[in-house]
Amino acid sequence: MALLETKNLTKSFGALTAVGGVSLAVEAGSLHSIIGPNGAGKTTLFNLLTGSFPPTSGRIILDQKDITGTPAHRVAHLGLARSYQRTTVFPAFSLLDNVWVSAFATCHSWKGFLWKKKEGYSEAFERSRQALADVGLLEKAGQPARAISHGEQRQLELAIALAAAPRVLLLDEPAAGLSPEETRRMVALVRTLKGRYTIVLIEHKIDIIMSVSDRISVMHFGSLIAEGTPGEIQKNSEVRRAYLGGVAA
Amino acid sequence: MLYALMGLGLSLITGILNIPNFAHGALFAVGAYFLVSFVGVFQNFWIALIVAPLGVAFLGLVIEYAGIRRLYAAGHDYQLLFTFGLALILSESIILVWGPVGSSYLPPPLLRGGVDLGFTFYPKYRLFVMVMAGLLVLATWLFLEKTRYGAIMRAGIENKEMVSLLGIDIHWLFTAAFALGAYLAGIAGALMAPIRGLSPTMGVDMLGIAFVVVALGGLGNLLGAIVAGVLIGIAQALVAAYWIEASTVVIFAVMAAVLLVRPQGLFGIR
Amino acid sequence: MKHPWILILASILLLPLIVRPAIASEIWIFAMFGLGLNLLLGYTGMLSFGQSTFFGSAAYVAGWLLKYYGINVFFALGIGIGVGALSALVVGYLCVQRSGLYFIMLTFALNQLFYFTAYQWTSVTGGEDGMPGVPRPEFFGIDFKDPLVYYAFVSLLFLLSLFLMKKIVESPLGTILQAIRENEVRADAVGYAVPRFKLLAFVIGGAFSGLAGVLYAMLFGIVPLEAISFVFSGNVVFATLIGGSGSLYGPVIGSVLFIWLSESMSNMWARWPLLLGVAFVIVVMFLRGGVVEAWTRFWIWRSSKQRT
Repeated sequence: MALLETKNLTKSFGALTAVGGVSLAVEAGSLHSIIGPNGAGKTTLFNLLTGSFPPTSGRIILDQKDITGTPAHRVAHLGLARSYQRTTVFPAFSLLDNVWVSAFATCHSWKGFLWKKKEGYSEAFERSRQALADVGLLEKAGQPARAISHGEQRQLELAIALAAAPRVLLLDEPAAGLSPEETRRMVALVRTLKGRYTIVLIEHKIDIIMSVSDRISVMHFGSLIAEGTPGEIQKNSEVRRAYLGGVAA
Repeated sequence: MLYALMGLGLSLITGILNIPNFAHGALFAVGAYFLVSFVGVFQNFWIALIVAPLGVAFLGLVIEYAGIRRLYAAGHDYQLLFTFGLALILSESIILVWGPVGSSYLPPPLLRGGVDLGFTFYPKYRLFVMVMAGLLVLATWLFLEKTRYGAIMRAGIENKEMVSLLGIDIHWLFTAAFALGAYLAGIAGALMAPIRGLSPTMGVDMLGIAFVVVALGGLGNLLGAIVAGVLIGIAQALVAAYWIEASTVVIFAVMAAVLLVRPQGLFGIR
Repeated sequence: MKHPWILILASILLLPLIVRPAIASEIWIFAMFGLGLNLLLGYTGMLSFGQSTFFGSAAYVAGWLLKYYGINVFFALGIGIGVGALSALVVGYLCVQRSGLYFIMLTFALNQLFYFTAYQWTSVTGGEDGMPGVPRPEFFGIDFKDPLVYYAFVSLLFLLSLFLMKKIVESPLGTILQAIRENEVRADAVGYAVPRFKLLAFVIGGAFSGLAGVLYAMLFGIVPLEAISFVFSGNVVFATLIGGSGSLYGPVIGSVLFIWLSESMSNMWARWPLLLGVAFVIVVMFLRGGVVEAWTRFWIWRSSKQRT
């Protein structure tokens, strides 16, 4: 059953159609990748999904429920969490606080949030520790976010999304700006998350895409030009033309 | 009309430099005091009228160079605090130099007395101010619209990066803009002196109005500031005719209302 | 600094020995005002130049009731807090939707609105002359007119406020507000309705301001027009910044310094606000973290010296 679906999703900024009639279905528990050249509309699609702005037309359906037009701060509560292409964390906060903020937001009980100490919220605390452990940053939990390396910040970026205990993870180029070694670690990390979460992944590095994805959708100039398993996409000549530039895969 | 001058100057500064200039009112006051002093020095109103605003512009130049320049990266909060402290320094300096008590000031002999407009006697000086301010606004407007330098300034409001990419030193643009804004404030103050007299706090009242004009006109929208300035001036006069106490309050109420409904002001684009 | 509370308690006990009780009271009142502001400024990252709106409104309303309706001191406090919070709710509601320059301009415009209303409504507020004759009525035998008694009262309220504020900033709300300061977009994305939290911060800050306002009115027996002016807002912002907006105690230190200096200097030189302006400018340009940061840096430097 498709956990996340879009039906004919369109977003135009004046005369520019950033996303045009995209219909997507992401199966629960799968890892669905979206690829396409720069400017194809991938990040805009993510922005639509997370409610940064409403679509011009079309619908977004999560678990059979229409969530089109939900504002950004409510989307997290629906079970959709996202990591960003450009690292955007809370610089002065410790790593623990970074994820804690995310965990607390979607916590079930906020009783006493005006006066209770933070440590009194066990659910949020557990989720925070778990998220940091998942990405391998638990030992550095006390350090401020601006003190860690870029690669570690990308991991933190992901941890913030994980801490929300979402059903669907939207990962926007998690390997952006990482060295080959860090990229390998990121890929391994994503593999451990497969199956535990439904994942939608945007990435540029083809080898990553091919090795982790269950399904791939290809965007070009805002529209979907192809969709299928990694094998099918590799053989698709249209995709080759638009994106791979005719290079033999 | 004077409101339009103040508004134009402030709009220029906020538009190009993107800082809230809380010292604008103080610059206005300095203009007025400079006028009086220079009249004492030159024994001639007209010369003083020319020199005084230049003095303010120079002051503005120094301020920008020594202070504001360092704060562009610091964010609005610090810029606001800096200009606020500056306003304090300026107004206290005024008291230091010229004494704490305000004084009235008569217009030059040529412009005293009234003019019979048929339905009412109107003070000659006020007419002069209206015409003068109108001319200044027009001149500034033409400068900004028709000359190369003006075009650069307007471009600076729209897109600072582009301007610097074009090879123009963005720092001098900012300095010039601030100096020009200060000039406008200064001459507004100088013109105002014979109408309302001098007082060290005259800057504070004007500051509020200048902000209202800029907010209504749209930050950085120069034509908007002019129109808004005129509108506010007219509106205030109208309200004062019926309910004098409320005239200033109404202005701010209008500003708040507009900012809420149309944050870009009546004419803004952003 | 290991034990700030001991230092504060000591200050409270020793201060009346150094300065007049009235000035000492003023210091702690200002500190309460600063705490309220810092929740907005230091923790949430909102520079509200309109705090005097809430301070002054509370002072006027409570002063009016104290003067003409003879309410008791505690009721006056309640009124003050209520008016402060309510006015902050209204102003905040209008302002939190905007940010940056527009936010600053809007808080300024609304403050001016209140200011000129107070200025013109002379029948109620006394306009430029202020509202004199605010009493400090007796309560069950406690004579608040005695400066030392009032000082004790104010100090107690201050300690209470400090304790409350400490609880708030250490609570999840404190973290959420700081998250908004650190990265508003992300805070929104992880699920916080940012405008609502900003409004909450406003209201809490307003309540503290209102409390300070009532105590101020009762201290001096008059509600001056300046109390609602934006210059007054500037003073509390300044005091908070010189103390250091990054910590809970910054506003307290700043208030002590500010009030003490302003009271002693105004006797020596009527033009001392000039120095204030200069100091303002220096702090803004060079010493952003205020005394707290300077102090911390000093200790770090000193401990590194000791190691070598």
